[in-house]
Amino acid sequence: MDALVRAPSPVVAFVPGLVLGALLFLVALVFDGRGLGAALFLAGATYVAAVAAAGAATDASAPLVAVLLLLCGELTAWSLDARLEIQAAPALALRRGAAVATLGLAGLAVAALVVSLSAVGPNHGLGWTLLGAAAAVAAAGTGIWVAHR
Amino acid sequence: MTGYTSFRLPAYAVLAAVGLVAGLALGRVEPVALAAPFLLALVTGLAVHEPEVSVRVSLDRDRVIEGDEVTATIWLTSTRGADRFELFAPLPPGLESPAQAIRLRAGEEQTLELQLRCEHWGVFRVGKVLFRARDMLGLRSWEGEAGEAQPLRVFPREETLRSLVAPLETQVFAGNQVARTRGEGIEFADLREWQPGDRLRRVNWRATALRRTLWVNEQNPERNTDVVLFLDTFAEVRADGRSTNDRAVRAAATLAHIYLQRKDRVGLVGFGGFLSWLVPTTGMRQLYAIVEALLTSEVVHSYALRGVDVLPPRTLPPKALVLAITPLLDNRTAAALLDLRARGYDLIVVEVSPLELVTPEPGSSLELAHRLWRLSRGALRWRYEQVGVPVVTWRDGEPLAVPIEEVNAFRHLARPA
Repeated sequence: MDALVRAPSPVVAFVPGLVLGALLFLVALVFDGRGLGAALFLAGATYVAAVAAAGAATDASAPLVAVLLLLCGELTAWSLDARLEIQAAPALALRRGAAVATLGLAGLAVAALVVSLSAVGPNHGLGWTLLGAAAAVAAAGTGIWVAHR
Repeated sequence: MTGYTSFRLPAYAVLAAVGLVAGLALGRVEPVALAAPFLLALVTGLAVHEPEVSVRVSLDRDRVIEGDEVTATIWLTSTRGADRFELFAPLPPGLESPAQAIRLRAGEEQTLELQLRCEHWGVFRVGKVLFRARDMLGLRSWEGEAGEAQPLRVFPREETLRSLVAPLETQVFAGNQVARTRGEGIEFADLREWQPGDRLRRVNWRATALRRTLWVNEQNPERNTDVVLFLDTFAEVRADGRSTNDRAVRAAATLAHIYLQRKDRVGLVGFGGFLSWLVPTTGMRQLYAIVEALLTSEVVHSYALRGVDVLPPRTLPPKALVLAITPLLDNRTAAALLDLRARGYDLIVVEVSPLELVTPEPGSSLELAHRLWRLSRGALRWRYEQVGVPVVTWRDGEPLAVPIEEVNAFRHLARPA
């Protein structure tokens, strides 16, 4: 019992990864976005590893983490763009803020949908099977549509 | 137009792919949930159309004075529109204009005005613009170039002068300079006894009554003069965007304008690595010719030994006032000016001082070199003064009127032969 109390939390093991991710964000800010992808990847991987180490239960905060990572990327890019000395109309900043917010909310909704759908067990009827097939077709169609552009 | 993708798009694609694969491999939903927003952003970025943009550019003026602003009007149309349309006019040094960003709506013509501030004289080619159309998140962009380069002449700004250096000798045509000779004019010169042929209106009746014989007035006629602006372009000192040649050109333009206003004949000699000259003549056309020549005058490094012999004789007419504007940096100019003085020209040297542009570090060996350089410049000035040539120093920040007044003061005290 005493050994269990004194044992370090498994989360502590992922602190170096988080620190490295934060450092990479700083690198991205200093060197015009270089390392941003690696920072996002490291942060996401650290989160997944922490969740996997915590147990088999699904982490309900995953959509929030996903959106926060996306916002990190978008806001970093925005701050890099703001460094350019360009006289922009004020409405452009508002529109970009609205676009980032919309993307964040839509991302949150999609991620939450993914998490909630994962709670549905297998063999729950024809309706769910058809819905899954439609989603797969829609995803494939979107991919083909994007590839043709 | 050339299309570009932001560094985020490939990063998002890799993150989404890794998340989906990790979800499958680990049998967990969290990696898939992490990938979902990035997939959404990826699809959003890739779904953006390339905007078809047409750009036309025109300048409101093609000739301006230094310090003025020129408006470049840009007409933009796009069939598909662009969420963020950035425009930048690449300009040479001497002109300034910031980049601008607007929203370009589909099917709507928009007009954008760029203010180009002309900070420096010269001949520039402007009119080409670089543009970049981006989606609202900046995930994809398309860059292009539009417009045709048009010449823009920025004339040097003029200094304010109240008085000019009066040449010692005048020419034969009518002008505003009171000649030293006697003849028909307005200015009273002297009295003399009547001679056969004198007109009755010239009789001075008061002097005649006093002396009981006929006496007449004599006048100084108003004549024009020949002025040659001798611009030294062998060398210059340039620092912090300022140079001796810039100021010399401004001084030459100012003097040419004011002398030509007085109906004098003005010529120009650009004496340097690239030799140029304009024969003295009068009128507005000559002013434009001089200013055009000044706009293209630049310091060209050369080792050629060059004297005033290479100039055509008509460039330096007899009895002309030669106003040399020089930083006194090159011995070839110094020798040429002494040669001109030896040939009897009425010579004035306006030294465009480079001393303010050269500041050696205190305590370094350069300080000693700087002192020696200043002494050698003083010795050169002394050589000019020994042959009766006034040398006036025009320091940075001073108005041109200061050295001109100094020349006039010198001429009151010492009149050269």
